[in-house]
Amino acid sequence: MFKVTRSENWKNPQDVWAPAVTRWKARMLPVGRLRWYYKAPAQGSALWRLRYPFTRRTVLRTRGVYNPKNLRAERTIVDRRPVYWALGLMLLALAPLSIESGALMAAGSVFCIYAAINLCWMLTIGTAGIFSLASPAVVGAAAYGSAWLAIQYGLPWWSLPFIGSVIGLVFGTVIAIPATRLDGFYYALLTLGINELCRVYVVQSRAFGSATGGLYGAPSYLPESWAENEQLMLGFYACMALMIAALFLYRFVNGTRLGRILRAAPEKKEAFAEATGIDFRSARVRVFLISSIALGTIGGFYATHFRGASPTLFSFDLVLMMLAMIVIGGLGRAEGAVVGTLIVIFIEKYLIDWGPARLILIGLIMLGVVLFLRGGLFGMKQQFRAWRNKKKSERRSTRAEKGGEMLPEEATETRDKDQIYARRFDKQQRDFLKTLVTDEVIEEHRLRPLGQHSEQLERLLVYFRRGVQNDKYAIVATVPFREYRVIALSGFRGVAPRVVDDKVYANEDEAYHGVFLRRVQDLLES
Amino acid sequence: MEWPSILLSGITLAAIYGLLAIGISITWSSLGMVNMAYGLTFAGAGYGAWMMAEQFSESGMLVIAAGIVTGAVIGVIVCLIAFIPIHDKPNFNVRGLIATLAISLIGTQLLLMAFGPQAKTLPSLFGDWQWELGEELVLTADKVGTLLSSLLLLGLTLAWMKGSRRGLEIRAMMMNPYGAAICGIGVRSTGIYVMAITGALAGLGAVLLCQTYFVSPFSGLTPMIKGVSVALCGGLGSVSGALIAACILGLTEALTTAYLGGQYVLITQFIVIIIVLLIRPRGIAGMLDKAREA
Repeated sequence: MFKVTRSENWKNPQDVWAPAVTRWKARMLPVGRLRWYYKAPAQGSALWRLRYPFTRRTVLRTRGVYNPKNLRAERTIVDRRPVYWALGLMLLALAPLSIESGALMAAGSVFCIYAAINLCWMLTIGTAGIFSLASPAVVGAAAYGSAWLAIQYGLPWWSLPFIGSVIGLVFGTVIAIPATRLDGFYYALLTLGINELCRVYVVQSRAFGSATGGLYGAPSYLPESWAENEQLMLGFYACMALMIAALFLYRFVNGTRLGRILRAAPEKKEAFAEATGIDFRSARVRVFLISSIALGTIGGFYATHFRGASPTLFSFDLVLMMLAMIVIGGLGRAEGAVVGTLIVIFIEKYLIDWGPARLILIGLIMLGVVLFLRGGLFGMKQQFRAWRNKKKSERRSTRAEKGGEMLPEEATETRDKDQIYARRFDKQQRDFLKTLVTDEVIEEHRLRPLGQHSEQLERLLVYFRRGVQNDKYAIVATVPFREYRVIALSGFRGVAPRVVDDKVYANEDEAYHGVFLRRVQDLLES
Repeated sequence: MEWPSILLSGITLAAIYGLLAIGISITWSSLGMVNMAYGLTFAGAGYGAWMMAEQFSESGMLVIAAGIVTGAVIGVIVCLIAFIPIHDKPNFNVRGLIATLAISLIGTQLLLMAFGPQAKTLPSLFGDWQWELGEELVLTADKVGTLLSSLLLLGLTLAWMKGSRRGLEIRAMMMNPYGAAICGIGVRSTGIYVMAITGALAGLGAVLLCQTYFVSPFSGLTPMIKGVSVALCGGLGSVSGALIAACILGLTEALTTAYLGGQYVLITQFIVIIIVLLIRPRGIAGMLDKAREA
């Protein structure tokens, strides 16, 4: 029968699939996009088309996409912040129903008032970049002034916010005068001094109640005849309405033309903004005055809510606390101002048994945020993404084994996932075929390009023939039976093949061998 | 009150304000950081001196030395927490300001927890002799001692900054921090020297001011605000400007106390400062902002 003979350098073709070979040597890292957020299946439902009246703005910014796996139409909410705002405010509105303790209700009102102050302050510090530490002093001045006027002339409670806004405008104008000349820290330190000046004046002035530790007796919107609980409830909802008004003000200053102008001209980049035609000076004065009027209104409201004003409104500690509030949340964000206020007020009013330790806790949070975070709590996402991208690119650059297979990032982006496995298989096959290329195989091919071959050569030739059409080598007879040359096909109909080199082969077999050598070279180089 | 004694009290105040203002000014110009924990350094140094007086000895020199050393140690701690980790990070100016504010909040509350809210008094450091020079002018021990010791420490500091290798490094940092770093001056080590020196100045200022006021956890606030105002008025980053501004504001304070009454001191001082800043937005002898872009 037949006798099976094998040459010495025969290799078992099954070896390619041996576990030792097929084991994926490159470290597979858990990189990818985990889609954890909600994808709405509906398309064209009324909710997505909900618009604010008289505008083209939709309530939710969405993007339609097709699910790559089942090609179903889906909608993604691009900006989910309106949802969170609505949920958060709803929770806040419902909170009093489950709270029995009066102290907590009072703390809730304080939170809303401070959140409103911080939102207005954020307009100067965050949007305009004017580091004014006198904004609490504007509130204090308006509260004191309106309370004093109301006590002196017996004014009704609803006039206090209006009086406060006028006082705020006057005070704001006064402290805006140095702001036109000074910038940066000069202004911050000066306003800190102004704050202290107000405090010392109020503490020593007899008209402002130096003896009683504050000015009390202003008319309040809370009816005296109501029960304590009902007063607290009304107070809370009034303060919440104030906070929502401040949120709208923030939105309509920060999100419109004025805010754009101001954010285009931050500190040390004014020259560029000016060169592009932005009048940042008048914009800064305008936002300063708007913010002062709003702070004054809040001051008037403060006076009627607390029935007066106390010197703590001007204290350095209060400035520090309020700075802590806006810094913890993140400068330049409405949600930062509100959430930062919530955190600080919670620690300060709820953990009151801790004594000085709670202020130390606030200080530590502030320090941690400043030392480790670039944009406060709400900048964490962005900072984390930047850090992760950095790590990703570091890993990508340290990956040693490459060779046609897809990198993890590319693999997550590609639409056709078969490509990942096709390329990986191709790489493994090439790795194996490279081991088959020996001098004997080349010599065998030179002697007999066509016909029956050894197994190694046959495997190589099969692989070569299977290659894609573009840049596939072929031979062309320039002079029949005398001159042959190697060309490379273009792979596209109508596009002529290109000549690879100027080597001329005398007969067909030599030309076949020339093509074989080129392919072997390409294989070894890949 | 007559002119000579007004002048004397003005100069005494100016000496103390000068100590504080120069510390703030040097910190700002060499490190690019407004040290809002200066009030904490001040209060802490006062407590250090008080503990020295209470526990060991009431000798004036030792109490002053304790105040200076405590001030320097607190300064170095502030530097380690607020300057070293973030000095090369983006937005360092604002972050440094807020970090020092946070440190000051934590530190004053710790002092409050440790020593309680009641104010402490220091023993009188320079004895209680008097020296009558004519009819109007009476040189009291604390005024002479304050003036001499602050001038001495100020002179020593300025001589050290002029004459020593470390002082040269600090002055190079004040001129141009990037250039200094390129020339091989360690930004971090220089930061530690600067904060130690300015902390020592604040410590001396604390011990001297606590002759007339008291030591309490929050006692550092007013001196810090005054020091900051003086530094601002003189121009952040300028030693001579700070001295001139200290003299002007010290005299303003003494004159206001004499003619208008103590409660108007801050008002007149701020009017003076605002007028100066409106005329010269960088202070009396302030450098252009280009010098300190870092």
